Amino acid sequence: MMDQWKLEEEETSYKEKLEMDLLLEGLYRVSGFDFREYMQSSVHRRIKNRMQLEHIPTITRVLEKVLHDPAFMTKILNDLSINVTEMFRDPEFFKVFRERVIPMLRDYPEIRIWHAGCATGEEAYSMAILMEEEGLSHKTRLYATDMNEAVLMKASKGIFPLTKMRNYTKNYMQAGGTQAFSEYYTADGQFAYLKPSILKQISFAQHNLVTDHSFNEFHVILCRNVLIYFTVGLQNKVHDLFYESLSPKGFLGLGDKESMQFADCAEKYNDFAECVKIYQKK
Amino acid sequence: MKNRIRFGIREKIVTGYVVIIVCLIVAILAVNNQLETMQKERNFIINHDITVRDLTSQIEKDLLKMETGQRGYVITGDENYLQPYNEARAQWYKDFEKLNELMADNPKQQRDISAINQNIEKWIGVAAEPSIKLRQQNDSEGIQRFFKEDPGKKEIEQVLQQFDSFRDDEKALTEKRAEKLNEQNNYLDIGLYSLLAFVIITSFTLAYFISGSIIKTIRAVVGTIRAMATGGDLTERIHVKSNDEIRDLGEATNELLDTFEDRDWLQRSVTDVVSKNQGIASVENLAETVLSSVAQMTQSSLGAFYIREGKDSSAVFVKKASFAGSADDIGRNSFILGQGMIGQCALEKRLHVISKIEDDYELISSGLGEVKPRSILIAPVLHEDEVIAVIELASLKEYSKLQLNFIKEVVETFGMTINRVIDRMEISRLLTESQAMTEELQAQSEELQTQSEELQMQSEELQMINEQLESRSHEAEEKSKDLEIAKQELEEKAKQLTLGSKYKSEFLANMSHELRTPLNSILILSEMLAENGSQSLSEEDKEFARVIHSSGQDLLNLINDILDLSKVEAGKLEVMLSEVNMSEFPASLERNFAHVANQKGIDFKIHSDHDVPVLFQTDEKRFQQIVKNLLSNAFKFTEKGSVSVSIKKVASGMKHAGIDYWLELSITDTGIGIPKDKHDLIFEAFQQADGATIRKFGGTGLGLSISSEFTKLLGGHLKLDSEEGKGSTFTLILPSITDESFAAETFQGAYAEAAVALETPVQEIGTSEQPAAIEMPAAYEPQDSEGSVFYGKTVLITDDDNRNIFALRTALEQKGMKILTANNGIECLEVLDNKKGIDLILMDIMMPEMDGYDTMKRIRAQHEFKEIPIIALTAKAMKNDREKCLEAGASDYISKPLKLEQLFSCMHVWMQSK
Repeated sequence: MMDQWKLEEEETSYKEKLEMDLLLEGLYRVSGFDFREYMQSSVHRRIKNRMQLEHIPTITRVLEKVLHDPAFMTKILNDLSINVTEMFRDPEFFKVFRERVIPMLRDYPEIRIWHAGCATGEEAYSMAILMEEEGLSHKTRLYATDMNEAVLMKASKGIFPLTKMRNYTKNYMQAGGTQAFSEYYTADGQFAYLKPSILKQISFAQHNLVTDHSFNEFHVILCRNVLIYFTVGLQNKVHDLFYESLSPKGFLGLGDKESMQFADCAEKYNDFAECVKIYQKK
Repeated sequence: MKNRIRFGIREKIVTGYVVIIVCLIVAILAVNNQLETMQKERNFIINHDITVRDLTSQIEKDLLKMETGQRGYVITGDENYLQPYNEARAQWYKDFEKLNELMADNPKQQRDISAINQNIEKWIGVAAEPSIKLRQQNDSEGIQRFFKEDPGKKEIEQVLQQFDSFRDDEKALTEKRAEKLNEQNNYLDIGLYSLLAFVIITSFTLAYFISGSIIKTIRAVVGTIRAMATGGDLTERIHVKSNDEIRDLGEATNELLDTFEDRDWLQRSVTDVVSKNQGIASVENLAETVLSSVAQMTQSSLGAFYIREGKDSSAVFVKKASFAGSADDIGRNSFILGQGMIGQCALEKRLHVISKIEDDYELISSGLGEVKPRSILIAPVLHEDEVIAVIELASLKEYSKLQLNFIKEVVETFGMTINRVIDRMEISRLLTESQAMTEELQAQSEELQTQSEELQMQSEELQMINEQLESRSHEAEEKSKDLEIAKQELEEKAKQLTLGSKYKSEFLANMSHELRTPLNSILILSEMLAENGSQSLSEEDKEFARVIHSSGQDLLNLINDILDLSKVEAGKLEVMLSEVNMSEFPASLERNFAHVANQKGIDFKIHSDHDVPVLFQTDEKRFQQIVKNLLSNAFKFTEKGSVSVSIKKVASGMKHAGIDYWLELSITDTGIGIPKDKHDLIFEAFQQADGATIRKFGGTGLGLSISSEFTKLLGGHLKLDSEEGKGSTFTLILPSITDESFAAETFQGAYAEAAVALETPVQEIGTSEQPAAIEMPAAYEPQDSEGSVFYGKTVLITDDDNRNIFALRTALEQKGMKILTANNGIECLEVLDNKKGIDLILMDIMMPEMDGYDTMKRIRAQHEFKEIPIIALTAKAMKNDREKCLEAGASDYISKPLKLEQLFSCMHVWMQSK
């Protein structure tokens, strides 16, 4: 009895896996966005979530809709791109960056920073504010990329809901901000608008870590809480991309829960500040 | 080398000494010899000279004795005097003979002696003998004469003279000899010194060479050893050319070095292997590395490495690496304990070396396929007395003891290494897993955040809508009061209008009724005429009658329609609930319209879902009327193609008290369709799509209005989906009404809910579920409604400078805020205690009595003010100040001089109701 049940469950999961593979393959072929090497658990949950919301019974139906309904495809793509971010997220990271990394960058004639997977741009703007406060904004080029163009559109506006600003203010302070955070935005009843001086520091561009190549050499690459959605194989691929794109002695900043420890290229980096996941290329 | 003649250090030293001793002996002998010769010489000189001297003296004495004897005798005649003479005369000759003998080597002296001899002989003959004879004869004269003459005197004198000269000669000779002896003595001296010098030189030379030969080799050995000690090159060997103890030492050292080198190699190789093992994280790599290094070091041609998987009885040794010169893959892939030679070896936990391999030896059980090597080595790797791996090697040579030792050493330490690597792999795997789980958790939390953000966005949207609605309702309330009066007026007018309309409808209804009565007569009579019962009418008349009848019929229909419509409008129509048998309903439709379909050559299909309940409670008459109207329309406006009816039960949603279920009936045609802009129009009374339609298709245009009105009456809804030229679909949605106390209004409400769910389900869901990312910019269109956010909010300004207060008050009051002020911290606390509903505090830092920091700390200490936003106003200042602000509990800070825009932005953030 138990076996039977188990067998059925296995069969279901096998079928679901197959369906999922087909869906991701289809999605890739039709949209060019490659989620095949994303963590299956995460993708699965997101798709399931969408299915529940839209009362879609099977993943195959989702595939059908993806293939025939461009609007739905966009919806699915948006579902799969998780855009959780906040300004000065993990303030300790920015604090350490300010105190330890900035002194090493200060004498560079030009500082190029790549924010990979910037989502709605909060962290990229945080970095822009930090560079401004450190008096380096005139020679800093910030490139913020994401695969989701809709998100980039939003990011490039630099408009954030007021409700979040309290938290951002707190983060800013904890990250060792040297000014009043309100210097960087104006607000009305609903939104805070970042000042143009901050906006203009950042170039937003569409870039897919899974399928696209390196586009410049950077002194700093930030890719925080992006790799967690990738399988180890893809993580390694992306690490290779980063390694290739970093200048010698360049810095790589990862998310709080991510680690270089198990990456193939771990030995190519020094643990510059392991506590906040800042690594330096050897 | 061994067979070379051995010439040891002892021999060398002894040889040296022997040489020296021999030299010494030779020297001593030589000297001795010389000395003896010299002694002889001297003795000779001494003896000879003395004898010669004695003899000459003796002879001289004898001569004188004879002379004396002769003279005495002669003189005295005493015979006694003759005796010495005779004795001397006998002695003299003997001595002379002796002297002559001694002088044998010297002819000159011999000549001298013989001269002396002659003179003595002469004297004897001349003087002695005659005188004696004279005496004997007693011849005194002769004796006188003789004395007178003295004949022998001259000979005696001569002899004495001769002796003197002889002795002089002899003396000269002796001196000459002594001189010669001296000379010889000198030579001996020189010889002795030379010999001494020679011996010294020889000794030194020998000492030098012998010590040299010893020291040189020792030095060479020492040098080599030292070179090895400092350079560490143990391959260097000591080479000794000599064949002595040093060579023995060198060879012994070499042997020692060989041992050391072997040991060193062993140690180095083991270390090498061990060090290669370090940092390897996977068993496969480890196996590969170890096997290849071990195989190379033991010069094995083939090798395989098996690692145990599983425990105890289920343990299987699986090949993890192979080392093969040319073969791609060698050996079996796995074995279990006791299986084959290798399994046996693993079981016995013992190193096996198989060196005698039979020609027909099958290597299958050894795990190495068909190779026939000279020697096979199977080494189990133990850890905690359990075999955890097995290394098998095969070589084309015999394994040396050293190699075996090496294998043993490697295997000894290797167990731990494997175990460590396995542990490490496990740890690494666990770590990776935990990392993956951490990441997964993070991903999940982010997803959740996204979802919650989405939800939040939705709720925000809803809230926004609510707020807007609220504000609108506020406005509306305001206006509604104004409107109330207007409304009442309007109501009054409306009542009048309704009344008017009712009157109109009633009038129409009555009119229609009144119209129908005469029309009936006309219809009946015209029909009778048309039937021509009396056969009195011509065909033409009959046709006229038919026209009259059909026109009358049309008129009647029209009047009926008008009547119905006006009844509905006048509220006169009542709903008579009854049960419609839905299983028969399609058939009745079919019956009614099949002929029309046939007539127009149009497909007519009716489909009823099997889940449609048999009984449908509604006003059957009105229901039928609606459906017939719709179908008539459909057929009317369709010239080719099809008309289809689809009946189904609406699946979900719309429960309402008194409603059992909803029925959906759609009528689809492929007719001319209705343009979008006319969709609403056609439900109005007396309206058709356009004038031309009436002309072409006829009809009153009341059908749809009536249907629509009836539908409403029955609590349902009629909707149209149509495109010009492609046909139309009318969908009728009606409730099955179970509640007798039915009122159309109630169902209108029910319908409204239903319609939302029914009409645009996809759209509805679509808008609400649109991901925030896309929708947000549009949805969050910035509002220029600052006034409304700040309006009515109470702000407490705490500043000791009244000018600041004034400036701020003016600015904030313009935004509609209520301002409270305090000149210092204490006042501020008082104000807070007394006044409620303060939304935000602006707090100056530098104040007398109680400064901003203390004030904020005090405020925060009170529970009710934990969350109240406090914006600290700091002088353009030190980082320190800001940190103190935060510590004291400020929500945010702004640097002076204040910029109003920044202040308002900041206040926006902190006044935003959460």
